[in-house]
Amino acid sequence: MITALLAELTGSFHVALAALGSAIGIGLVGKGASESVGRNPGAFGKVMVMAILAIAFAESIVFFALFLVK
Amino acid sequence: MLTSVFGAEPVTGEEHGLTSAAVPVLQVFGLTISNSMIITWIVTLLLILFVRLATSKMSLVPGKLQNFLEMIVEGLYEFFKGILGERVVRSTFWFFSAIFLFILSTNWFSLLPGVGSMGWGHTTESGHFMVDIPWLRGGNADLNMTCAMAMLFFLFWTIWAFKFNGVKGVAKELFGVKSDGITGPLLAFLAVIFFLVGFLEIISICFRPISLMFRLYGNIYAGEVMMETMMEMGPITGILASLPVYFLETLVGFVQAMVFALLTAVFTATMCSTSESEGTAH
Repeated sequence: MITALLAELTGSFHVALAALGSAIGIGLVGKGASESVGRNPGAFGKVMVMAILAIAFAESIVFFALFLVK
Repeated sequence: MLTSVFGAEPVTGEEHGLTSAAVPVLQVFGLTISNSMIITWIVTLLLILFVRLATSKMSLVPGKLQNFLEMIVEGLYEFFKGILGERVVRSTFWFFSAIFLFILSTNWFSLLPGVGSMGWGHTTESGHFMVDIPWLRGGNADLNMTCAMAMLFFLFWTIWAFKFNGVKGVAKELFGVKSDGITGPLLAFLAVIFFLVGFLEIISICFRPISLMFRLYGNIYAGEVMMETMMEMGPITGILASLPVYFLETLVGFVQAMVFALLTAVFTATMCSTSESEGTAH
């Protein structure tokens, strides 16, 4: 019964799961960055550069799922 | 109402909207020129014109244009010197700054009104003019463009890796044991592990241009699709909804340019700058 229901599901699950994981990852990076700037406001520049780098890494996984899967 | 406007069969056979590949505009001597190629030419011309104008009469106390250019160049040079170290940045700065300025200018130029909305098309029954082949299209919303930049980076990374380290140095970086003061059987054990990890490292290095390419393409293309979708919501709500997305795209254009340049610089630094007295691990 449940498998018959599950078999009816269609759509882009891979994109949804990739977006879920990527969004959570970016949120974690933001949390770490905010905490570290709150502890040490003078390190804002360096922390921001590293945070943007990590966000770009986490975000690019979504594009792999979007464009590399037929 | 929507079907009457968009019901006219689209030329490409896909849904109405931005196609994921660039659309060819002209055919010159058998070469196909697509609309994103045209915009990259325009951006390059503008950049060259700007630099030429700013450096035409250089003086010790600079005028406004020269001051602006000096601010950009010096700022970028200090930024990359902090990442790469003095020796490497001398011979590699041209690449990173060119990548950053080009991607930034292309992204921001592609946001100007007219890109994607001027072109050849046909008039539908309700009197609207629907553009089928736009003359201009976002420069980095074309996978060929980002692929070219990523492949160029890979080529230059290989050249610089061998130039700054030598063949033996490259092998030591990839396969060598990166800890000092360990001898005996532990060293042999670690050597085997580091050797096998070296192959994984090679795979990850070969994957880098692909990730760079898809990151930039995905961000810019998704932004354009988002703007277009917002604008189709109706005459008033479309404008209200797409304004925040427009400014988001400005920010995304800047961030993606910075991320591309920063990532390429960091990849080069991990390979070429550890031979200096930085002392950073691996």
